[in-house]
Amino acid sequence: MNIAVAGNPNVGKTSLFNVLTGSRHSVGNYPGMTVERRDGVLASRWGGAERKFVDLPGTYSLSAVSEDEAVAFRCLRGIDASPPDAVLLVLDGTNLARNLYFALQVLELELPTVVALNMVDAARDAGIGIDASALEDALGVRVVETNGRTGDGVEALIKAFDDVRAAPAREYVEEHEPEVRPALAKLEDAGTSRAQARWLLCCQAADTVGLTGATADQRAALAEVGRDTCWTVARRLVSARYRAVDSILATLGVGDRIHDAPAMKTSERVDAVLTHPVLGLLGFVATMALVFVSIYWWADPLVGLIEDGFGALSEAIASALGPGLLTDLITEGLIAGVGNVLVFVPQIAMLFLFLGLLEDSGYLARAAFLLDKLMSNLGLHGRAFIPLLSGYACAIPAIMGTRTISSWKDRVVTMLMIPYMSCSARLPIYALVIGALFVSTPEEAVISPAVDRGLLLLSMYLLSTVSALAVGYLYKRTILASPTPPLVLELPPYRIPRIANTLAVVWDKTLAFIKGAGTVILAFTIVLWAFLSFPREDTGAGGDGPTRIEASYGGRVAKSLEPMVEPIGQDWRVGIGILGSFAAREVLVSTLGLAYGMEADDDDPVQLREAMRTDVDEAGKPVHTKLSGLALMVFFVYACQCMSTVAVVKRETRGWKWPLFMLVSMTVIAYVAALIVFQGGRLLGYG
Amino acid sequence: MLAAMLSAATLQVGESGVVKDVGGTDATALRLLEMGLVEGTVVTLLKRAPTGDPLQFRVRGFHLSLRSAEAGRIELAGSGE
Repeated sequence: MNIAVAGNPNVGKTSLFNVLTGSRHSVGNYPGMTVERRDGVLASRWGGAERKFVDLPGTYSLSAVSEDEAVAFRCLRGIDASPPDAVLLVLDGTNLARNLYFALQVLELELPTVVALNMVDAARDAGIGIDASALEDALGVRVVETNGRTGDGVEALIKAFDDVRAAPAREYVEEHEPEVRPALAKLEDAGTSRAQARWLLCCQAADTVGLTGATADQRAALAEVGRDTCWTVARRLVSARYRAVDSILATLGVGDRIHDAPAMKTSERVDAVLTHPVLGLLGFVATMALVFVSIYWWADPLVGLIEDGFGALSEAIASALGPGLLTDLITEGLIAGVGNVLVFVPQIAMLFLFLGLLEDSGYLARAAFLLDKLMSNLGLHGRAFIPLLSGYACAIPAIMGTRTISSWKDRVVTMLMIPYMSCSARLPIYALVIGALFVSTPEEAVISPAVDRGLLLLSMYLLSTVSALAVGYLYKRTILASPTPPLVLELPPYRIPRIANTLAVVWDKTLAFIKGAGTVILAFTIVLWAFLSFPREDTGAGGDGPTRIEASYGGRVAKSLEPMVEPIGQDWRVGIGILGSFAAREVLVSTLGLAYGMEADDDDPVQLREAMRTDVDEAGKPVHTKLSGLALMVFFVYACQCMSTVAVVKRETRGWKWPLFMLVSMTVIAYVAALIVFQGGRLLGYG
Repeated sequence: MLAAMLSAATLQVGESGVVKDVGGTDATALRLLEMGLVEGTVVTLLKRAPTGDPLQFRVRGFHLSLRSAEAGRIELAGSGE
């Protein structure tokens, strides 16, 4: 038996799905859609395989305003595949005045349905509790009280599917009005079911027929009805359903009390602080600071551990196999590649753990509420703020986090903005350049060496933030122009998040990253390794001869491209560094070390800084000046020097168009910006 | 009509009104209706975001946040407690 799990957002639907399926679920996408699809099999402790569940996206309605609702209806109605054998409809017992609207829409499909009346204990505490049997009489389908947190009622819920039945056909008096009946009849005559006719007319009113998969006949019938009439029908239908909801609530005896939102009283008290004009903003800053500091504190040691672990593994293999091509391929290509994939795992896991907990607690909706003004000025939704901010830590989880943005164009805009935010991998580069070339003596300092360096670093972060906002503003008005999305945002009750649910999401996201982007990153690393390792000429250790990296294809390309990097104040060594750092920005440091002839295992930053500072050309002038250092930093503010970002954008947009656009545009902007800095600086007499 | 249209955006914090209709014929209008802003529903403005926008309403037993632009499309039959 295939069972579709349907419900509003924030009703504990996913919690219940997780309890039902245990960990036995898989994540994919609906065909041709960006909407995530979760499938699972009934966990063995509940009786096992006979029942399969698909967790539909949580929506407020089935009318296709976005892809989420379109997917939910199409799946329930069986438009793209066979319809489910039964529906598990999850309702929030504390919020029936709105939940029942969706319930009626689902019941109109006349599929065998069981209702899980969730959070009924919280409803009782708030004085709006109702009996499952009373609701059962009102709806005409089985109703079981459940608690997704404790698992109470789940056994009864599964049993209820043994004699599951469909709701009796429901007709609304409004449907017999002179404008409404003929419109519905026009579609029904063409063989469309009543539920689907209602749906299509509402989608036509919202101008989203494109999402419905309507047949040519149905489209013709809709066109004949006309949009004005569709609107009349839509208004009547929505009012009719809500009238039915109100009469159900009246029979249940909670009609008057429920509108005051008694179950929201505690949340109102919490909101008095968390969305307070002063305390709320302070709280938001503190929360985000806590999240990022925690990521640095907790993810960084793990990243170090992974790097050390892979380093030790490489050494062990190198000593076991002895020197040779195969050893290099395994250690510098394969293991380094796997390492490049896995170093992101702690950051992804941490960020999604925190975001998941904040989301489930109800806080993220408040954050969107607090910051919507800023984002709507850009033309984006308040929800775009969090992924953007996450970009400071790492673009990879941030780009994966854009899934919360429902508009596709806005999601792409946000994805294109994120790599401009200075991620943690830029920090080693800024640190190297500032450390090597700026304020080396106290006499040079304007205030003090530490403060000067700090301000310089801060200005790089400011530049990156302003640039991200600027490109967002630009793209939103040009290549990805679309109206500012409306904000229709529920502020759900605050709830204690369930760590097990969040960890399940963290697991899914991490696995998706490893599977989706990992292979690309691994392949890139091996190609890049070959590029910087071949041909393998033995240049002899030390001495004045060219280093091995210099003799490689990559080194030769960098040398022949020196005229390209000269205008931005760089030499061929930095050229190799830029090539090598395409694997990941921080690789610039070790690649530069190799180019200066240091062995890989003694890439001592102090030594490298000294080498850069004292490096002179044939005329005896320093190769690296403050101006060229500034140009290099500006280059890295803008350059998309991260194949993992490219790989993730490729995965999320399911194509090469946007990742290539991102790569090319950012590289061009980086080059031009560095050029302006270096040449402009020279014209002004610096450097 | 002498005065400007009474809308959810013209409510004072703490004030309630009764919905008469939602203006416009687009997906947002349908979404607002389906969130329960149908004729006869009581809306209460609970608070404004620190920057003045968006607004937080109580509707049908839950809390809903809308920008002034969207709230302005929610026509009210009358206001007052």
